[in-house]
Amino acid sequence: MNAPDRYERFVVPEGTKKVSYERDTKIINAASVTIEREEHTIGNIIRMQLHRDENVLFAGYKLPHPLQYKIIVRIHTTGRSDPMQAYNQAINDLDRELDHLKKSFEV
Amino acid sequence: MPRVKIRELRDDYARFELRDTDASIANALRRVMIAEVPTIAIDLVEIEVNSSVLNDEFIAHRLGLIPLTSDRAMSMRFSRDCDACDGDGQCEFCSVEFHLMAVCRNDETQDVTSSDLISSDHTVVPVDYSESAASIDASDGGGITIVKLRKGQEVKLRAIARKGIGKDHAKWSPAATVTFMYEPEIHINEDLMESLTLEEKKEWVESSPTPVFEIDQVTQQVMVVDAEAYTYDDEVIKKAEAMGKPGLVEINAKQDSFIFTVETTGAIKASQLLLNAIEILKQKLDAVRLSEDTVEADDQFGELGAHMRGG
Repeated sequence: MNAPDRYERFVVPEGTKKVSYERDTKIINAASVTIEREEHTIGNIIRMQLHRDENVLFAGYKLPHPLQYKIIVRIHTTGRSDPMQAYNQAINDLDRELDHLKKSFEV
Repeated sequence: MPRVKIRELRDDYARFELRDTDASIANALRRVMIAEVPTIAIDLVEIEVNSSVLNDEFIAHRLGLIPLTSDRAMSMRFSRDCDACDGDGQCEFCSVEFHLMAVCRNDETQDVTSSDLISSDHTVVPVDYSESAASIDASDGGGITIVKLRKGQEVKLRAIARKGIGKDHAKWSPAATVTFMYEPEIHINEDLMESLTLEEKKEWVESSPTPVFEIDQVTQQVMVVDAEAYTYDDEVIKKAEAMGKPGLVEINAKQDSFIFTVETTGAIKASQLLLNAIEILKQKLDAVRLSEDTVEADDQFGELGAHMRGG
């Protein structure tokens, strides 16, 4: 009766942004990225890739509640990089890794 | 950088090794193959006549679960995103129409199957399971049974099939099962093994629920016959300890080597499923990039921005 529609898990409603970024007021070079309508599939690979970056001091993701379909990725970097840069770099690296995987399979 | 080596490849089954990558990527691929690779399945059913023993929604449910060949799915649009149709999600770009007309006129029970579904697009048809193994039993080239009719009973309906993903409803999942396991590395301590009698060796080899080890007839040595049959139950290790020989064998899971087993319903070929999954994963990553404007907007309109402006 109170169950939300299944498409709520992946359809971003009008007016809500898919990705939003909030810098931490109290810690420098720290930020939280909120991604709407995604879960462990994306969250875990981004977190894993961020850990491989040596400029990243802290990287973690969580689902605040299993019935709220979003994830929050928290990133702290050293002075040499900033969270947004680390995040975008991680996504680019993952893209390249998947491209490599695709090529290696097609052969 | 990841490498793939294919072991076995059939139309609906693939077994391959994925090396030099992390468990999170292997798991992401598994999750996407099951829930986010799009397929086509019947989503809307208009029933004109139904005098069968199954009620309307029962038949509609069964129709939805029939796998349809979905090679078109990756290039098709979702009905909700289609701007070509007049809002009812039934145009030629975003959907495929099916008709089913069956009436039983003789005394025998008539089996209405998925092969009786007539498609408006010859590339999207119910999957044909008749060609390979075991066609001697009930599924003798008839397809999936939808409903059985007695003399005089009739079913006449029109169905619309749409693109969807497994996350929305399991009927759209192209995967029957997708599993992966860590590749095991088994080292037998030969010196300790020598100290066992043949009887003890036999007992130890038998203690494994799956046939991982074998005793070579000629040399009376214990050999690893199928390392991948090992299911990471520690039965052989416990048996070795019980026999008073801890450390008899050392089994490690290689942390960056995975063995995938992919079985599909036939809607998409197994090899194509993996390629589509990689494509979908890339699309998802592209959708979550941060751009300068998202950050600026959040600075301006986010909570911090409001706070800084004294709001």
